[in-house]
Amino acid sequence: MKSVCNYQVSDRLPIREWVPSHVQIRQYAEVSGDFNPIHLNDNYARQVGLGGVIAHGMLTMAQMAALLTEWIGNEGRISKLDVRFEQVVSPGDKITFSGSIRARSEKIIVCDIGACNDKGDKVLVGLAHIIQK
Amino acid sequence: MIGKEFIGRESESVVLKIKFEEVRRFAEAIGIPFDGEVPATYVGTLLQANIPGFELTNPGIIHGEQKITYHRPLSVGDSITYKRCIKDVYERTSKLGKMIFVVLVTSGYDLAGGELVFSSSSTIITPVKGDVNEERV
Repeated sequence: MKSVCNYQVSDRLPIREWVPSHVQIRQYAEVSGDFNPIHLNDNYARQVGLGGVIAHGMLTMAQMAALLTEWIGNEGRISKLDVRFEQVVSPGDKITFSGSIRARSEKIIVCDIGACNDKGDKVLVGLAHIIQK
Repeated sequence: MIGKEFIGRESESVVLKIKFEEVRRFAEAIGIPFDGEVPATYVGTLLQANIPGFELTNPGIIHGEQKITYHRPLSVGDSITYKRCIKDVYERTSKLGKMIFVVLVTSGYDLAGGELVFSSSSTIITPVKGDVNEERV
């Protein structure tokens, strides 16, 4: 596998695919303490116009972070992770996470990051800084 | 209704030890192998520091943005103290109508040395028409 230090500006990161389930969203509510009913109660979520429960934004962001940590391995760590949530993510959606190198110095790699659903809508966009060891 | 007068309000500091078992359960829930490292978004679970008089529970609330910065790595076994603060409140008109944006910042400090370990900024968006403390439907 290509080492992180060999990635150059505009190179693409490996992609990560993820399909959230009701079970995983409930599990995330339990570990995060975020029990907002829009994540847990289909009837409630429909009443507030969401069409059903949605995944926590932080759960989607965690998948974005997972792509980065898997890619970095033990060559570095995430020092900054900034994202904007563009669209809701629902159970069963097929989400593809991706990224590319925007800039790099000897120690820091700046990545553009994002995620799309299977309809091609952007669900998350952002920026990450990786500090190399 | 939340307004500009909330800017600057902050919680008490909460002392927290980063525990192996809690981080392991977090990693399991997000579906990643746990190797002893604290996942970058773990600090998003630090919600126990309540800001007096401030609660966002109304329907239609959206998590708009999240920014997490680590000034040094956070590790299992670390003891930190963290607090939450309302950094900004502003209104914008979007395709969904008039919305209030609330920027909440969580800052985590090393318990022993006092240096800043991380800061995490959440932008929460809520419709103007919904009362902030309205009962859940």
